[in-house]
Amino acid sequence: MRRLPALLTIVLLALLSACSSEPDGGSNPRLTLQLNWVPEPEFGGYYAAREMGAFRDAGLDVEIRPGGPGVPVMQLVASGQATFGITSGDSLLVARERGIDVVAVFALYQSFPQGIMAHAERGLNTIADVFQGGTLAIEAGTPWHRLLEKRFGFSKIRAVPYSNNLGPFLHDPNFAQQCFITAEPIAARHAGAHPRVFPISDIGYNPYSGVIVTRREFLDQHPDKIAALIRAVRQGWQAYLADPAATNQFMHGLNPTMDLATFSDAAEIQKPLILGGNTPPQPIGGMEFARWRTLAEQLRDLGLISRVEPEKAFVNP
Amino acid sequence: MKAPTPEVWLPPVISLVAITAFLEGWLALTAVPGYLMPRPSAVMGALIASGQELLRATLQTALTASAGLLASAVLGGLAAVLLCIHPWIRRAFYPYAVFFQTVPIVAIAPMLVIWFGFGPKAVMASAFIVSVFPIIANTLSGLLSADPALRDLFRIYRAGRLTTLLKLQIPGALPQFLTGLRIASGLAVIGAIVGEFVADTWENGGGIGTAVMIAIKEQRTDKVFAAVLMAALLGLLFFALVNVLSRTAMRRWRLGELSE
Repeated sequence: MRRLPALLTIVLLALLSACSSEPDGGSNPRLTLQLNWVPEPEFGGYYAAREMGAFRDAGLDVEIRPGGPGVPVMQLVASGQATFGITSGDSLLVARERGIDVVAVFALYQSFPQGIMAHAERGLNTIADVFQGGTLAIEAGTPWHRLLEKRFGFSKIRAVPYSNNLGPFLHDPNFAQQCFITAEPIAARHAGAHPRVFPISDIGYNPYSGVIVTRREFLDQHPDKIAALIRAVRQGWQAYLADPAATNQFMHGLNPTMDLATFSDAAEIQKPLILGGNTPPQPIGGMEFARWRTLAEQLRDLGLISRVEPEKAFVNP
Repeated sequence: MKAPTPEVWLPPVISLVAITAFLEGWLALTAVPGYLMPRPSAVMGALIASGQELLRATLQTALTASAGLLASAVLGGLAAVLLCIHPWIRRAFYPYAVFFQTVPIVAIAPMLVIWFGFGPKAVMASAFIVSVFPIIANTLSGLLSADPALRDLFRIYRAGRLTTLLKLQIPGALPQFLTGLRIASGLAVIGAIVGEFVADTWENGGGIGTAVMIAIKEQRTDKVFAAVLMAALLGLLFFALVNVLSRTAMRRWRLGELSE
């Protein structure tokens, strides 16, 4: 029992350090951008911006922190341990529902990059056909999982957990799985399979994705810094879209498990997701009120959020 | 069985109440937001609101974890007997039994899906893999540490290998086997939950592992903690059952082990 106070002190200190916001060291504090996955072409523009000195030229000191499976981006941003984080539009709205006051300032993917891939040999024609039989690996708890279940029903298929492992797909011709359009289908093709990809946007669910979020507090205090960051990020993406080779080489050094051919394939495939979708055209990463409203309404109809407040969810700096 | 005295149940109840009250008060006072660290009251709220769902999930995990634990007890016990037969067998295979202790189950779990398919079999296999080693190691040490004086006695009476094994070594290893089982009981719950992360089919609604994954995706920190609490309670229940089992077994064998 005598040790109890010491133990409590340790718990206290751990909690304290977890809650304290980042130190504002000096006049130019380091900003961190927390990625939600390992370095891959979906982050190419950020690494390009850093390598070409766009952040430095904008007077910013930006650290890019790679993520991985299960990295709690929203909590890191909310607690101030990261200034910016990358997440999806629907996660942002759900986080806001939970009382996390985060705001989107940039949306890389104008089309939702999530899809379902099945073996082409099955001859499926639409996303609805996926739900006629076989196995489907899918992450539980995502809004689009709920939407698919509502729309098509899962009674004829076997739903199993999705993991970042192509083995079961390659192994079983009746296996379908969720996929990042720019990632798994390429890897499956390289492994000799013939995947047919059905984008989730086919069912009218098309949230912004690859979204940069920050705390409302930071946005209010440093609008100039955010504007400068987004300008630099745009320069980075323009450079990466024009020629990704050097940045891919650099990211391959950070993530050697992804080969260079896959890097360049993915960089090519994601181009329409980044550039397309908007009429009239707007700068890379720009967002529209109507699309945030549609997403919020969809999430409300699924019972995931209670209020539709798109105006609070994003700004175009 | 006589009812436990306050001396037995009071300390854990006091510590539970004190720690919970302290956390509740401290989190309220410092206004730590619930998405970073949910208050105990919020966790209890989630536990009550999703009680039925979590209870069903816990039941499912209990089934696969106990099947894995049972397999560990039987196969681990048998393996220990085989290993004790001859030093050569021990030298040949025991080092590889250590594999089960060091295997990073998170890395192996996706392979279990390929070998056993999605569903309870892969989950049980995961529970088995993480829980078998403590049983092998403890039982083996029990089998090998039979009282030398009794060994001599068996030799004087010209008892054969089999008689010595059945009448001396195996009964003598019972306490160590039960210690192994106690360690294994908690590990089996962990193994089942990790197995569920990759292999649960949700056909019956899914186990605790699936409940945790969904709660994380829905950013329900309170529900994550509620599910983790259920896992802890399940581990505690397994531990208690093994203790009851070991008291019964020990009473049959001799006067009983020291109470704890």
